[in-house]
Amino acid sequence: MNNYTLISIIVIYLAVLFYIAFLAEKKRQSKWVNNPYVYTLSLAVYCSAWTYYGSVGIAANSGINFLPIYLGPVIAVPLWIVVLRKIIRISKQHKISSIADFISLRYGNNRFLGALVTIICLFGTLPYISLQLKAVSETFEIMSDDSSYISTTVIDDSTFYVALLLAVFATFFGTQRTDASEKHKGIIASVAFESVLKLVFFLIIGVYVTYYLFDGTTDIYNQISVLPNFKQLTTLSGVEDGLNWLYLISLSFMAVFLLPRQFQVSVLENNREKHLKKAIWLFPLYLLLFNLFVIFIAWAGKLTFGSTENAEYYSLLLPLENNNSFLATLVFLGGFSAVISMVIVSTLALSTMVSNNLIIPYGFLDKFIKNQPERNSKYIKNIRRISIFTIIISAYFFYVLFSKELSLYSIGLISFVIIAQLAPSFFLGLYWNRGSSKAAIIGALVGFCIAIYTLVLPFTLRVYTGTDDFTQFGLFNISSLKPYALFGIDFLSPPAHAFFWSMTFNVMTYMVVSLLAKGNYRERNYAEMFVDSRNFTTLQDSALVWKGEAYVADIKNVLIRFLGEKRASRALNIFFTKYKLPKDTQLADARLINFSEKLLTGSIGSASAKILIASVVKEERVSLVEVLKILEESKENIVSNKVLLEKSNELTQLSSKLKEANEELISKDKQKDEFLDTVAHELKTPITGIRAATELLMDEDDEMPKDIKAQFLKNILQDSDRLGRLIHNILDFEKLETGRLNLDLQYQDIQKTIVKAINSISQIAAKKEVQIINKNTHGFITSYDEDRILQVLTNLLSNAIKFCESKTGEIIVDYKLGNERVEISVTDNGKGIPEEDFDYIFDKFYQSKHQNTRKPAGSGLGLAITKQIVEKHQGKIWAEKGVKNGAILVFTIPFK
Amino acid sequence: MKKRHEQKLVVLSIALFLIFNIPFILIFNFEGAIFGIPTLYFSIFSVWLLSIIISYIVLTRHYE
Repeated sequence: MNNYTLISIIVIYLAVLFYIAFLAEKKRQSKWVNNPYVYTLSLAVYCSAWTYYGSVGIAANSGINFLPIYLGPVIAVPLWIVVLRKIIRISKQHKISSIADFISLRYGNNRFLGALVTIICLFGTLPYISLQLKAVSETFEIMSDDSSYISTTVIDDSTFYVALLLAVFATFFGTQRTDASEKHKGIIASVAFESVLKLVFFLIIGVYVTYYLFDGTTDIYNQISVLPNFKQLTTLSGVEDGLNWLYLISLSFMAVFLLPRQFQVSVLENNREKHLKKAIWLFPLYLLLFNLFVIFIAWAGKLTFGSTENAEYYSLLLPLENNNSFLATLVFLGGFSAVISMVIVSTLALSTMVSNNLIIPYGFLDKFIKNQPERNSKYIKNIRRISIFTIIISAYFFYVLFSKELSLYSIGLISFVIIAQLAPSFFLGLYWNRGSSKAAIIGALVGFCIAIYTLVLPFTLRVYTGTDDFTQFGLFNISSLKPYALFGIDFLSPPAHAFFWSMTFNVMTYMVVSLLAKGNYRERNYAEMFVDSRNFTTLQDSALVWKGEAYVADIKNVLIRFLGEKRASRALNIFFTKYKLPKDTQLADARLINFSEKLLTGSIGSASAKILIASVVKEERVSLVEVLKILEESKENIVSNKVLLEKSNELTQLSSKLKEANEELISKDKQKDEFLDTVAHELKTPITGIRAATELLMDEDDEMPKDIKAQFLKNILQDSDRLGRLIHNILDFEKLETGRLNLDLQYQDIQKTIVKAINSISQIAAKKEVQIINKNTHGFITSYDEDRILQVLTNLLSNAIKFCESKTGEIIVDYKLGNERVEISVTDNGKGIPEEDFDYIFDKFYQSKHQNTRKPAGSGLGLAITKQIVEKHQGKIWAEKGVKNGAILVFTIPFK
Repeated sequence: MKKRHEQKLVVLSIALFLIFNIPFILIFNFEGAIFGIPTLYFSIFSVWLLSIIISYIVLTRHYE
């Protein structure tokens, strides 16, 4: 293919990526950017050019050894639900912006440790980036028709320009904000897109090779299995090979947590914890799909080309051999995608580390304190931009110097071994609160030196001296110091060997030093926060123990330098509101110190944040015992606060209940007073009558005619009767209202009760010549207190008679069965109930209020008692509204 | 997610570590092929797929 066509394809593809990143950045909140699939696909940045091309090379040359690189993550991923979630929580809480920040924070914001981690990451990642550039350059060479294409100078080398383009991309989308702990949605979206492309194109070429060029998997197997040495390609050769295999699995297990780009995508760019739910099964599936066709592409290439010289690029060479340049272009683009995503995410992560953990804490801090906020944020961004370019260009020169010597696979493994030196301080620090910063530093240094000696030095010396003496005879010709066979252990492959020695010494040093030297109080404070993170999330800002003297104004000044006036004031306002402190607080407490450190961490890294804050406060040393005591206390405080809150809630409820009860009592008391008033008034009326009549009889005993005397005596009798009735009713009513009445419930025929009631009142009815009709003659048996219901019926009937005209009066008693209740109605054709009285007729002594206009015709308690009885039966009583002539009174008795 | 269900995944991880390493891996370490896939590859891929299915089931059932 023409060089220019190829370059224009690359440029168009990069433009598409720019556009995607731009869109995602613009629509940061969209669900297209924030979902578990994008998260999972961004994790697939793990599959770089090494996976895309390198695996095939290994499968063709040495067989099964490409698999451990993916088995490590497959083993690690189920653990994410515990480990990664913890890391994500801690990182979010402390606004961590890189793995160097994470580790240095765990060991009490240790500045040197942060720098050391950064340097290890640089050493581990630069060769890795150069590996990607190597892949770009070599695939470019294969794709371009100019077969003699060999770069002579940097200016001619298209790889250099590709590297620069990538640096521009990373700079543009990676340094939009000063706070590096903010999400880079544009980059993540483009990485996810690239992950789809690389997988799909790799699967397409796999299917094409296996099913189009060959006749399926069995065909390839049958052809390849006759070759000599085939057995070594498909099996492990024994226990020694098994050990290699184990070390490679452990290596990749660590790498999937520790590689700066993996930490960036899995921890820092994680939007929601629940995205893990999908990622934990989807990510291994992605890796599985990627590995399915590797062996078949490798064997097909071996069968087609015979030699395994260029085995890494079989996936490109096979379609080109068959003149399918379109497919070759797809494969090239897939590989290019793998390169871009890896390079961009790695440089982004590294540049943050370099600026926040190396450059700013060592040299730029003093300058920042004097500067204006706008200039500070510009400085920080510029430091990162320059770092990105420096990293990519250094990687390019590493590639120029060394890559031609090494395969993709060996470069990748060198990176893994170096990065793995962070493992003890990272994993052990996460679960062991004794691990101290000194131990982490010494352990990582020892491991790093061993890794350099056993892995980096041999090939570097080979390039410079051109001989293999160092590897052959060891340092100073001491055979036990041979870099690939330290102390005579010569059966491991170089990376596994380096891993074994460096990791053993690293872990042992870490543990021994941790036990020998105690960390200072601040370190222990953070150790507790990390190890016991579940407990300390609730403590939030009070989890940091700090004693000393500091002024809010000083701290605010520091914040303004980096966040600007507006953001700093807003942040402080939020802080004061959150902890309910007055806005004009003068003295700062531990919470404010912690809060401000967190605020600064995103912009300048945790170590620098600590140094900056420490420069404006007077800190007192606190003993370790005190730290632990305070932590324990704050934990207990939270628990007891919770209990107190519950208790006070209970009290509030109780007091409101009491209030209600009190109000009820007061109103009851008022009712009682009113009742007594009315009763007294009612009792007075007949007594006055009796008294007047008796007086008259006594005074004019002789002169009074006999019939008038009899009339008076009759009046006295009537009034006494009324008095008696009244007292009886009052007692009855009291009994009902106070609930002292017990119903004598028995199964009775309601029809018979109605007949009884009519019979008992028929005398009075006959006297007034009012007709009573019993309409429903069917019997119905239900449970009620017959005496009381008789009382109700008699009451209603006598009321009805009272209001009926004599002779024309007609009363109808009827009942029907309704929804689980008997509905009994008494209908009359009397003068009816005035509209304004509807709501009051069942009130006690209601009629008494109209005594001036109407003659009292009863005690005034009849309907009130009736209502009480019906309600005692769980029934209802009411007067039907909208009746033209007379009145209809209805009551119900429920039955089951 | 309850601790018990989290621990299921932890145990899955331990089991994978054991099965993917010597001596267990040597069980599948012989020549031959199933559907044209060498036995060792085939068994590793199967365990791999099985682990995906197990995590999928555990997570969809118990993740809150």
